Amino acid sequence: MATQANEGKILILATETCAYPGANSVGQAHSTYPANTYILRVRAPALFPEQFYLDCFEKGISGIIIMSCGEECPYEGAYHALAKRIDRVYKMMKERSLDIRRLRLTAICTVCNRAFLKEVNQMNDLVKELDEV
Amino acid sequence: MASETGEKVGVYICYCGGNISDHVDVEKVAENVKEVPGVAVARTNMFMCSDPGQELIMEDIKNGVVNRVVVASCAPALHELTFRGAIQRAGMNPYLYDHANIREQVSWVHHGDAATDKAATLVAAAIGKAKHLKPLSPIRVDAKNHATVIGGGLAGLRAARDLSRRGTEVLLLEKSPFLGGQAAQLGKLFPTGENAGDLIKQLAKEVSDDSNITLRACAEIIKSEGYVGNFKITVKKSSPTSEEYIEKLDTFGNSKAGIGDFVPFIGLCPMEVPSQTEEFTQDTGAVVFATGFKTYIPSAGEYGYGEYPEVITLPQLIRMMARGKSGGKLEINGKRIRRAALIHCVGSRHIPGIHEPGSDGNLNEYCSRVCCSATLQAANEIREKHPETYVFEFYRDIRTYGRGHEAYYDRASQNNVIFFRFEPEDPPVIEKTDGSQYPLKIRVKDMLTFGEDIEAEVDLVVLSVGMVPNDISDLVDMMKLPVGVDRFLLEVHPKLQPVELAKTGILLAGTCQAPMDIGEACSAAQAASSKVATLLSRGYVELDPFVAEINIEKCTGTGNCADVCPVEGAIQQSETESDGEKVMHTRINPALCTGCGICVAVCPENAIDINGWTLGQYEAMVDAIAEC
Repeated sequence: MATQANEGKILILATETCAYPGANSVGQAHSTYPANTYILRVRAPALFPEQFYLDCFEKGISGIIIMSCGEECPYEGAYHALAKRIDRVYKMMKERSLDIRRLRLTAICTVCNRAFLKEVNQMNDLVKELDEV
Repeated sequence: MASETGEKVGVYICYCGGNISDHVDVEKVAENVKEVPGVAVARTNMFMCSDPGQELIMEDIKNGVVNRVVVASCAPALHELTFRGAIQRAGMNPYLYDHANIREQVSWVHHGDAATDKAATLVAAAIGKAKHLKPLSPIRVDAKNHATVIGGGLAGLRAARDLSRRGTEVLLLEKSPFLGGQAAQLGKLFPTGENAGDLIKQLAKEVSDDSNITLRACAEIIKSEGYVGNFKITVKKSSPTSEEYIEKLDTFGNSKAGIGDFVPFIGLCPMEVPSQTEEFTQDTGAVVFATGFKTYIPSAGEYGYGEYPEVITLPQLIRMMARGKSGGKLEINGKRIRRAALIHCVGSRHIPGIHEPGSDGNLNEYCSRVCCSATLQAANEIREKHPETYVFEFYRDIRTYGRGHEAYYDRASQNNVIFFRFEPEDPPVIEKTDGSQYPLKIRVKDMLTFGEDIEAEVDLVVLSVGMVPNDISDLVDMMKLPVGVDRFLLEVHPKLQPVELAKTGILLAGTCQAPMDIGEACSAAQAASSKVATLLSRGYVELDPFVAEINIEKCTGTGNCADVCPVEGAIQQSETESDGEKVMHTRINPALCTGCGICVAVCPENAIDINGWTLGQYEAMVDAIAEC
């Protein structure tokens, strides 16, 4: 799938124990997905403050998918801290008239190939639609 | 070209023998990144992980051409350590290196110009991060070569024995008065057919005879503090108060057995029950969890359980058959069993919306894995010892997954066990008969005959119950352990770190982690003991340096980081006076910090970061991605 120069960039924050190997599993299956996706390996996305997300959008990132371990997070309390933080980010996005659908929190496991592809394709369709408006 | 701050990044891009270069124009990527500020050299190689590939990196380091390394190749899990090793051998700090994954996340999923463009962007992002890297050293802490094993079942016994043989001193704690755990509730073990009691007796003797192992029964941990290599636990020994243990002690006493003896379906009593409560502390370097499982107890009325006396569980059948050995008859309530129905997947593979949560409010969505083979073994034993008894098996799927387990399925067919398959939404229904010579009838829509309604009258219904985790919530809370949605303890990664918890120095052995058979539990125990021995045998442990670090100059002592930190003692605050003013100091205990980064997000001054994964590094990566 070729990337068009004007396609919005999607940042994927993928946990090193779950979603990052999950993305590799998609690669091992040679399942294609939009190339305007950039995966950053993270230990736990709870690390990022609210401002980080807002700055990403400010810098021109069109969509962010946080691919966490969900309830299977190996760090005690990190997932719940993250979920609360994302709620606050949504409020801040609304205040700035940013469509909150541009930020999505999800859980992807090491073999969640279908879920990974679904999330990526959905976000790609969404940023296309939003960026056209 | 060095950056303004002196970083000279070497970029090394791999062809991976065509795996990458078939879809990514590797040379074009190298040309592009040469223009990125701070990049001193960009080289390509057919296999960067090969000796010649590693030599390229090492030569550039030795010649002073580069002082940061970015490798663009396959997934980092495969060769991150390879490249760190090469960098270290060349005399550079191995953490001045970042990795761009351009195979699994580029060439295997994208093609043409898009793949080349994305590879270049990811390499640029890695360069951005590399410029912000600083030298790190593994954290070294002294470690006591002593391990505590919690649980005296087969996995715990095995772990204790293996640890001792590797030179580690062991404290083995068993909560009950007996060794053997759930294995003591079994008769013959699949797939070898050996007696569970013999296995327990053999392992318990080896443990008892081992002067390097201290065994304590009726003992449980009531306090734990510290970190890998330096845990301090407080243990309480007391006379058992639970009805279950008192009943077992009575049965044991009535059997005329003594200390060191094994009584089937009770266990092996290794020592006198303490007459009074006592506490002691123990310094220990690692803790192995072998806390096991308990069998699922069906809800009242589930398949007629608790409603009809002829409905029992598989463990009850095993006990019944063991008792029948002397009399040679298979009976229930004094009546010969002519027909027995065995129902699989009771308490396992629950489906939300179809199955009702149990009395504890939980659905067990997992497969308990061992029940299919155990049920088939019981069916075969009935047919072979009591050929006059017919056996019907009602199953959803037969999952005889282990080596030699499928043979039980084949043998059951040869033994004329009759199988019926049901869908989860149409489970078998158990009813009382009216005036029949059989007490119960079982109805099912059988999918092997394409949905035919089948009815059979039987003397006995056996529920093949699954495994549920033991309640160790006190230990989970005390030691802050991660638990999965299935309520079993949760390993870091099922393949890459299968017996390790995120808290270093705490390991998993057996069914406290997930349903598994005895062979698998013993394998896990061996793996855990190997991990502990590797960790502790040097007298010190080296931990990944990816832990929080405070920038003292920026820190204003808000305490937000300490407030949100989930690990007690990982972030500590203390107040001192300086020039008459009270100043708050924040300190990290690197041995306790798990590097989760929750603290990073709440610092208003950005004064705390995770080494190797800093916020600034991520911002640099995002900048590079946004700019490309």
